[in-house]
Amino acid sequence: MRHLTINAVCVLFTFIIITVAAGAQDSEPVQNYSVWVGSHYTSLSDYAKKIGEYNLGNDEFLPEFKGIYQYRDADKLIMVNGHYFDHKNIDGTVTGIFGDRVRGEVYYRSMIRQEGQDLLENMAAREKTAAGGAGGKILTHEIQDFGADYNTHRYEAGADVNILLSRKNNIRMMVAHRSIFKKGEEQKVASNHCFSCHLTSRTMDVDRQTHQFQIGIQADISDFTVGYQFGFRYFDSKAEDVTMYYDNAQHPVSGANEEEFASRLNFEDTTLAYGTYPETEKMSHKLRFKGDIGKGRFSSSIGYSKAKNKGTELEADAWTGAANYTMPLSKRTRLIAKVAGTRLTADDPFIDLAEYREGRDGTNTDAAITNFDFVRYSSLDRADARVSAEVISRVSPRATLSVLAGYNHIDRYDYPTIDEHYKTNKFYGQAKLRYRKGLRYSNMIKYRFEKTSDPFRSFRGLFEQAGRNVLEPDVTPGGTFGGYLFSYYLREDLRYQNITTQPTDAHIFEFSSTYRPTMKTNIMFGIKGQYDKNGDLDSLDVKHLSLRPHATVTLNPNPKWSVLTGYTFGYYKSRGPITVALFDG
Amino acid sequence: MRRSGTNSPALMMGILQGMLVIGLLAWPNLLIAGQSPPDAAFVGSATCLDCHDEIGETFQNTVHGLAYSADDSRGAVSCESCHGPGSAHVEEADPELIANPANADQFTDSPLCLGCHNTPEFDDWSFSHHQSADLNCSSCHTIHATPEEAMQNRPPELCYTCHADVRAASFMPSHHPVREGKLSCLDCHGVHGGEARLVQDNTGRDMCLSCHAEQEGPFVYEHAPVMEDCSICHTPHGSVTDNLLVQSEPALCLNCHAMHFHATVSGYEETTEANGRTVVSTADGWKKGMLTKCTQCHSEVHGSDLPSQALSTSGNALTR
Repeated sequence: MRHLTINAVCVLFTFIIITVAAGAQDSEPVQNYSVWVGSHYTSLSDYAKKIGEYNLGNDEFLPEFKGIYQYRDADKLIMVNGHYFDHKNIDGTVTGIFGDRVRGEVYYRSMIRQEGQDLLENMAAREKTAAGGAGGKILTHEIQDFGADYNTHRYEAGADVNILLSRKNNIRMMVAHRSIFKKGEEQKVASNHCFSCHLTSRTMDVDRQTHQFQIGIQADISDFTVGYQFGFRYFDSKAEDVTMYYDNAQHPVSGANEEEFASRLNFEDTTLAYGTYPETEKMSHKLRFKGDIGKGRFSSSIGYSKAKNKGTELEADAWTGAANYTMPLSKRTRLIAKVAGTRLTADDPFIDLAEYREGRDGTNTDAAITNFDFVRYSSLDRADARVSAEVISRVSPRATLSVLAGYNHIDRYDYPTIDEHYKTNKFYGQAKLRYRKGLRYSNMIKYRFEKTSDPFRSFRGLFEQAGRNVLEPDVTPGGTFGGYLFSYYLREDLRYQNITTQPTDAHIFEFSSTYRPTMKTNIMFGIKGQYDKNGDLDSLDVKHLSLRPHATVTLNPNPKWSVLTGYTFGYYKSRGPITVALFDG
Repeated sequence: MRRSGTNSPALMMGILQGMLVIGLLAWPNLLIAGQSPPDAAFVGSATCLDCHDEIGETFQNTVHGLAYSADDSRGAVSCESCHGPGSAHVEEADPELIANPANADQFTDSPLCLGCHNTPEFDDWSFSHHQSADLNCSSCHTIHATPEEAMQNRPPELCYTCHADVRAASFMPSHHPVREGKLSCLDCHGVHGGEARLVQDNTGRDMCLSCHAEQEGPFVYEHAPVMEDCSICHTPHGSVTDNLLVQSEPALCLNCHAMHFHATVSGYEETTEANGRTVVSTADGWKKGMLTKCTQCHSEVHGSDLPSQALSTSGNALTR
């Protein structure tokens, strides 16, 4: 079967290595150069765009270069690394260390991501009626740029500098920056709801930018270290908006009943943009404290961040705090305690939608449905708290036992429609035993359980706003809906069931064994597994099981060489409900 | 509906408590190997190099060698800056009589390396999973090596030595380009216990948003799981489904949402001209819905500021 020959990214490297070293005297600067010149060949067939997601996908030999330059003298070290794989895969790093005063890195890296094209072939169908004839609903699609080669080129430049301003009080400044650019073309599909269900695929330019900046300063004051950090992130899409003409509303077969169908839409017979990305920015402030208290050590932070959608002026604020503390309970036992909390608040905009049937007639009028306006409460709004305590003990010269217990609480205080305060509580515990015999043998076994009440469940999501009060199916033969279909808005309560497939009970276990016959050879094998289920559901059966046995052999003949080979087998089984299929309009 | 609550893990707690009690009762007397005696004195690096000359040859070219040589006040005792006073070790030639940071464990009083490496990146080392797993700096770093050799290996291979399942996931059809060298484990993981670089807050989403900032919002029309936790739909290391989804569509979406439209009604088995359009359908036509990706129509699944067309969804269908 041709489509199953998912083969293969074969890469052939031929490297010529030139290494030059100069300056052998201890007191003189030392310079090293290494240059790799070679070529690689990549063969891609069939599902090339999937398998070769990050590959240029040319069936030809391409030149490849790699170079390293290093300079070091008595008080500084400069390293330059560069790699040219192809014209859309280039990496480079410059690292400098100047005594203990300055350490910095500047880097560039680029890559390509193949997107492939969805031909929408499943989007061509027509419904039949119960009698076998052609039904009312029809689904079509249109590809405007058939065969287009969709990909994006992502390139990124960044810098990270750490400066010791003063040895007195260890005053340091940290500055980091990163800019990410993403350019290319991608497929954008827009759907017309009426008069047909009609999907149109177009090419959309991609030109997105993300800029991030972070600066921090810290100093030792008495026995404590105090720091402040400011962060800023900016995103914008510079690409021109893609627009589409949204049809005038009609019956999908007869073309009639325009008023009836128009009354079901927010807009029709108009050209509008779609698939846009808003300009956003986010800034953050964080204060850090760390130090010793008694025999223990702590680190903590308090932070505030604000994210803003500059297109709509919507904002989201977050207050965060965290504190960690560790202290010895005895010479061979220590306690680790962690507390963290977050308070997120997002704006709740009022959504002003078209009046239902305002000024329009329809055959299926219902006076109860006149207004779909609503306030969109944000599902981002929440307060969450996380607490955990772990005791780790060296129970014998070769064995370490750790016991962990924790509790997470989330209060989604504005979560729409389910509860005024929709709360999730999770309790978890873990025991881990590690046995080590010198550096040769090491074994670890771990068991963890998690018990969650009211795990996350999506609120209405894509489903319709409450329309009718009629919640009983209209199954009367010859009734309004022909006797075999459910009321259009019946799905309301049926769909908003209080269920989720997120687990309430999870059991996680892990075993690993490591053997080092020599210090340059490492053999490891083990298994990880998880079984979870949702015990809140009365009749639905939700279970997940994963088993991942693995074996790895690592050889490190010297610091410059590493050979790693391994095999991991993954077994995943998921049992869950497929939601009940309901008639849709 | 039954609620599971948090009041029924008694058995599990019993097991944990039992293991703790057994551990405490089994207390042995430990000797933490490698410590300078309290009365030991500094002897200077030259004395150390009399025996450890192979380290001396390369040490001056290491990061540590550079750092110390730039500071005369510390350069004179560079070996003992980390290993402590060496007189007892020199006299007895006993490795137990000098500190060896490579043997430090999580019960060591203060992680030696953090005395100098005290930037925010290391703030949380004492609370990190790696330290709890009895790793120390030498587990990953070769302290006496030259800069290019300073890591015993490099991410991701270094990390894969222990995290074999992550390595396996990286070979799945959909994966972050770690294997291709375009991302490092360190881009997302604060391996020293702290946050990854350029993460602004600990709301959970921000690590993903630092690269995928287009999903930040806040949007007028939200998708609740996007606000909750990216990992509800995505698995970061590798997946058999596109876009690192934990399940393929539509099954993933049907975990929360009711199926509509396509899969529910069988198709009409004719080629039909209707309103100038050609539709080729079969009796199973609409059952193709089970092969449909929900995101073909609901393309703005991460959120949008633009209302969708159908009024009955209150504009919240995330199709624009």
